[in-house]
Amino acid sequence: METDIRFTHSALVEKCKTGHSSSQYELYGLYVDAMYNVGMRMLGNKEDAEDIVQDSFVAAFKNLDGFSYESTFGAWLKRIVINKSINYLKKKEIPVVPIAAHEFHLKDDTEVETAAVDIKKVKEGINKLPAGYRQIINLYLIEGYDHVEIGEVLGISTSTSKSQYHRAKKKLVQIIETL
Amino acid sequence: MDNFEKHIRENASAFDEHKADRAKMWAKISEELQPAQPKVIPLWKRPMAKIAATLLLLLGIGGFIGLQLLGGHETEGTQYVAKELLDIDMHYKGLVSYQVQLVQNNPNLTEADKSEFLSFMDELDAEYAQLRLEMQNNLDNELVLEAIVANYKQRIQLIENLLKQINDSKIIDDNYGYTL
Repeated sequence: METDIRFTHSALVEKCKTGHSSSQYELYGLYVDAMYNVGMRMLGNKEDAEDIVQDSFVAAFKNLDGFSYESTFGAWLKRIVINKSINYLKKKEIPVVPIAAHEFHLKDDTEVETAAVDIKKVKEGINKLPAGYRQIINLYLIEGYDHVEIGEVLGISTSTSKSQYHRAKKKLVQIIETL
Repeated sequence: MDNFEKHIRENASAFDEHKADRAKMWAKISEELQPAQPKVIPLWKRPMAKIAATLLLLLGIGGFIGLQLLGGHETEGTQYVAKELLDIDMHYKGLVSYQVQLVQNNPNLTEADKSEFLSFMDELDAEYAQLRLEMQNNLDNELVLEAIVANYKQRIQLIENLLKQINDSKIIDDNYGYTL
């Protein structure tokens, strides 16, 4: 079905599949800022974000034949950026999930209803999260991934993703309350 | 999903606050996307080329040895003589044409003297051309070779005589000036 959201920019994508360089540049122009922001959120610094986003576009254009509109091109590309970012963090031994022995409590993952908070404060709060908390919050709240997807990306089970997310969210709310 | 989460998800675009350095990043991407240079296998690495080259080499060596056996020393000797002759020829030709030029440019000679001299030279040129033709037919003919050398000698002699004549007239003038 051509009207399906998954086929957004399909004409452009198809041209890119033939190696048409001006189409590649056009597609790049449409997504580069969004992808750069994903990279910045995942990695926290300009240089790493640029490197990862560049690598992701190269990988995407080289493997475009494997893209078969099971998702939108943007979602497919974003997954590449996120996977590359997580691999990079793991390689640098930066924790991507908030597991720490002293924080492990069985009742930690109980859901707590929280009211809407000013976005500015959320941004500030996320920046103050310790390493290992930020990625899961970003993936769930900003990138809009569900726990199945987060499980795939981080290499953890869906239930672990849920519990780790709630722990991270609790931490975030605590930080925001101090602001 | 509580209100806290809903509010953030609905405003997710507010978290896109950075601008990418498009040009810089694209430069690196396009560099990576450049089509790889086709792999070139050097000609001499191809098996067929190796066989062809070996055959060619064998033919070359075979041909050279064959020629040596058939032609013997004569070929080598002829080549050597031909080269030497060519060198001599070039030397004399240069010498003669230089002196002819000197004669032609000399202001102390009358036009009649010059034309007489040049007509001699033309005669010798014609003789020389005939000798060269003869030599091509038979390089070993010593008489022809001697005639060529004689031809050059005659020209040089002719030129020297003429130059002597010019110099003699100069000396008289000089002496006259000196005795003053």
